Amino acid sequence: MTDVAIVGVGCTGFKSVSPEVSYKELMFEAATRAYQDAGNINPRKDIDAFISVAEDYWEGFSIFDEFVPDQLGAVLRQLFTVSGDSIIGLGNAHMLIKTGHFDVVAVESHGKPSDILTLYDIVSFAMDPVFNRPLGGHPFYLAGLEMNRFLFETGNTKEDCAMVAVKNRDNALRNPYAAYGARIDLNDVFCSSPHFYPLNKFDISQPADGGIVIVLASDEVASDLNDCPIWIRGVGWASETPSLESRCFGEAVYAQLSAEMAYKEAKITSPSREIDFAEVDDLFSYKELQHMEAMRLCEVGEAGRLIAEGVTGIDGDLPINTSGGNLGMGWALEASGMQRLLEVVIQLRGDAGERQLADVEVGLAQSWRGIPTATGGTAVLSNC
Amino acid sequence: MSTEKIKDARRMVHWPGHMETDYIYTLGIAGEKFFTEMKNSGRIFAAKCKRCGFIYLPPRIYCERCFEKLTEWINVGTKGEVFTYTVAYVDVDSSKLKEPTIYAYIKFDGAHGGLIHKLGEVKHEDVQIGMPVEAVFKPLAERKANINDIKYFKPV
Repeated sequence: MTDVAIVGVGCTGFKSVSPEVSYKELMFEAATRAYQDAGNINPRKDIDAFISVAEDYWEGFSIFDEFVPDQLGAVLRQLFTVSGDSIIGLGNAHMLIKTGHFDVVAVESHGKPSDILTLYDIVSFAMDPVFNRPLGGHPFYLAGLEMNRFLFETGNTKEDCAMVAVKNRDNALRNPYAAYGARIDLNDVFCSSPHFYPLNKFDISQPADGGIVIVLASDEVASDLNDCPIWIRGVGWASETPSLESRCFGEAVYAQLSAEMAYKEAKITSPSREIDFAEVDDLFSYKELQHMEAMRLCEVGEAGRLIAEGVTGIDGDLPINTSGGNLGMGWALEASGMQRLLEVVIQLRGDAGERQLADVEVGLAQSWRGIPTATGGTAVLSNC
Repeated sequence: MSTEKIKDARRMVHWPGHMETDYIYTLGIAGEKFFTEMKNSGRIFAAKCKRCGFIYLPPRIYCERCFEKLTEWINVGTKGEVFTYTVAYVDVDSSKLKEPTIYAYIKFDGAHGGLIHKLGEVKHEDVQIGMPVEAVFKPLAERKANINDIKYFKPV
């Protein structure tokens, strides 16, 4: 069957605000860079289908998908929008090419939260209107509920989570695309204001604007478009129940199921040994640890020890979030997962500059759709 | 050349948008049962799946595990235990709350699910996972058949 590779990536970089460009101009810049990277293709004739990953309410539209084609070069062409998550968008592109009907597909995702004056009200609108929303409050209290149970069940500690924030903000200093690189220490995290116990302010990703476009191609044309195609070995996605009251709270079941789906396709049986590095959703610090355990990158209850021993650091045996993760790059709404994928591609190409890992062949990118969802995606990529 | 960065997008030329979305969310068969029983008699009902035995709180008319239709209502009492909790210090507009709010997911005895609600009559430093709690209802005349007919849960 057709193999699929990523042959182009384009990123605007992420910033806390982007008042100089509209959302369309942000997408245009990311697309232009991606098409240039993919052998300077012309989207008006060389791309067979386009997928945007977007959510109406984030964008302030009732029909956002209708406002996507022109800035991507997709007018009068085949385009659809995936509302969900960037790696689910990647999975759709992967499938389109595997049908044999499409050779080149572009996937777009972006976030412009600085345009949203009532960001957390919109998050609240994602909660059940009858059983949950009438309680009011900031919806991130759900992350506090989840973190508390996760620590209780696994024995990981608040200090382990704070180490994630320290590591990822530090990694982001080496990533020119990242909005929130900083040298902080554990004390800074503990002294940052309490937000949703056990979460402190520095345990929570901050919003960032930016866009990413990637170009995928079949094995028939991939090598013509890029000297270093990055092969998609497996993609998975899954949703747990939407009912908060039926979830287990301590575990990230969506991450477990999406990873197992991707591992099956990639023929990976022992992820902690076969995967060289990973980019893992860390919208909240504890999520990095919870997702690592769910995806069998370590044993349950072991993630905290790994970060304490430096195993997941940039010089460790299993580097996690060399990009800085969402804590370091910023929470870019639907582009948050694509940030994870972008870093895996950059590392596998050997283009990561001063944060480049040595001798990496297989990388994993994982995303979560954020509060209050229980949906996520996983992709396994390799450079050989 | 400007020496200052613009940090507030509202300083640029812009069109202020406002998305009006007024809704009524009908409760459906299971929601009507749950909220009218709670309002009228202070009873909390779950729904049981005859095939797999799973007891849903809040109740539904279908089983998410085996897709069976649910027709059996079970009174699960008003007591449960704190499965997890958090203390919110920040409001939805990111301002600091005057008084922190304690939220908890309360699992009910006799059901597989539970309710997410607030805790009251307890200091946040005294809350623990596993703590037994019970629902405190508003007076009958103030109940409106919604989740806030329960004022909060308090330690037993």
